[in-house]
Amino acid sequence: MRANPSNYEMLAPNRLSAIVSLLAKEPGVWLPIAGGTDVMVQYAGGKLAARKLVSIWNLPELRRIEVASGEIRIGAGCTYTDLRKHETIRNEFSLLATAARWTGGIANQNRGTIGGNIVNASPAADSLPALLVYDAELILVSVRGERRLPYADFHTGYKKTLLAADELIQTVCLPRRFVGYFSHARKVGARNAQSISKVCIAALGRLTDGVVEDARIALGSVAPVPLRLSETEKIVRGKTIDSDLLLSARKTAAAEIRPINDMRSTARYRATVVENLVAEFLIRLNDDRTRTEREGKTLARWNRLPIEEAVETILPCCGSKAWAQGMAKRRPLTDENSVLTASDEIWRKLTPPDWMEAFNSHPRIGESRPSQSASTQSAEWSSQEQRNVGDADAVVKADLADANREYERRFNRIFIVCAAGKSASEILENLRRRLQNDAETELHEAAEQQGQITQIRLRKWLHE
Amino acid sequence: MDSRGRRSESEISFVVNGEQKTVHAYPTERLLDVLRQQLRLTGTKEGCGEGECGSCSVLMDGVLVNSCLVPVLQAEGSSVVTIEGIAAGESLHAVQQAFLECGGAQCGICTPGMILAACHLLNEKPEPTLEEIREGLSGNLCRCTGYSQIVEAVAEAARRRTTA
Repeated sequence: MRANPSNYEMLAPNRLSAIVSLLAKEPGVWLPIAGGTDVMVQYAGGKLAARKLVSIWNLPELRRIEVASGEIRIGAGCTYTDLRKHETIRNEFSLLATAARWTGGIANQNRGTIGGNIVNASPAADSLPALLVYDAELILVSVRGERRLPYADFHTGYKKTLLAADELIQTVCLPRRFVGYFSHARKVGARNAQSISKVCIAALGRLTDGVVEDARIALGSVAPVPLRLSETEKIVRGKTIDSDLLLSARKTAAAEIRPINDMRSTARYRATVVENLVAEFLIRLNDDRTRTEREGKTLARWNRLPIEEAVETILPCCGSKAWAQGMAKRRPLTDENSVLTASDEIWRKLTPPDWMEAFNSHPRIGESRPSQSASTQSAEWSSQEQRNVGDADAVVKADLADANREYERRFNRIFIVCAAGKSASEILENLRRRLQNDAETELHEAAEQQGQITQIRLRKWLHE
Repeated sequence: MDSRGRRSESEISFVVNGEQKTVHAYPTERLLDVLRQQLRLTGTKEGCGEGECGSCSVLMDGVLVNSCLVPVLQAEGSSVVTIEGIAAGESLHAVQQAFLECGGAQCGICTPGMILAACHLLNEKPEPTLEEIREGLSGNLCRCTGYSQIVEAVAEAARRRTTA
């Protein structure tokens, strides 16, 4: 049954003080509505119990993100898009930025708010496990004043919270003490966007000399409330990650959860997935150690090099001098993320002659002879990337050679494709399709492909 | 407190496709219904009516929203752009043209929403990767084309705009 709008009242005061006094005058009567991604769904279905709504959408007091030295304070009215775009959240609280990216499609991310996600109190909400592992605290406001409490205490049962009838969530505070932790997030669902998760995990960990110094693991959709796995965390702390530890972590995690059967999944499936997710987190945490050590060493060395040598060292990842100079000027770069972002920004701003220089540093697909301008490193990477082509059957190879020649006649340069992981026939199909492009379109498509090749090579350079 | 609130129909003003409009509506009426029924802008479609399908996408102050989830009171003072406001007079927007040429539309119900989502994406990221296009359109469901032509159309529009 569709709701009849004439049965509802709605106010939109423009100050927080007016809203809390409204909530105080008739406690439990006025329902706050922010972006409407939950409330309007109930309303449209005729299932909304409240008849009086008060809009808190876009209220300046609730839509600020304040970065203080010890913590970040996120207004409860900030949208998922606000969270995704905020630099400190992306860098220091990546689990929250990732969860924001998983929640709904873009239109819902533009309207759904972190405060709404918390009061809606769904055990399946994607952002709540992240708040648990980051030790979030909430500031609640009412005419009686403000109170601050740990988010971990806030959810008391299925869709139950400590929010009083006259209160509103004002701020979500995250302490800035997880820099340098390894983060792991995973959503298991039918689809990333728009689908509610069957299980999701947010986890943080830190190793010292191969021993788990700290592990923080939280899950969604496995209990009436978002759940922190405190027992599992306890048994992994102080241990090295080996197969015995994985086994006991699996068992402990399975014993901590209280999953149910519902329309999205079964309790048995959820329990199995939880065991796997916890094990996956620990394995990745262990792998990350060698990876970050290597990455750190490579970058520390490169950051110290004289500029000409830095350019020379990174050049094989792309082939364009202007790109390599741009990268060297951006030093010091301290991790994979900043390297990849810098590379992407520089590459997009280059001119077609610079792109051509990069294209020309590759051997023709299916041909082992490197181009004359390629370095030894670049030639070796090319042969790894094109490995699948070498194994292809003779007919495909011959077709590829023909199509390559046609491409070169048509566009006057060699065909560039990010070949890593592609079979010879996939490459051939890509090549044939791109032969239909006009010159301008094809130039940009080739540049896009070169950008992908560069990213793959940068990762190899950092970690091998 | 004024418990009468704004229960009765009241005047709500906002800009639609560049023109100032004032409507008489109940405050919780859905922006979607006001656009379609009062303003006769029927290009905006209703699909699921619960924010899952993106058919009713419009831009509100430049931001992509599902108009089925916006109570019209929240649109007061804003600037709304619907599919009717995308073309410049008789000449189609690059995204519309690309949808036509790449076969990005079939039954047409999702198309207005897809085009607005694509415009929003290209405003934020003028040169999106294919991955970014898929993500930008992930809240818009199509039951006809299988998405390939839609993604291709957006990529094509991006190429034309950046090389124009």
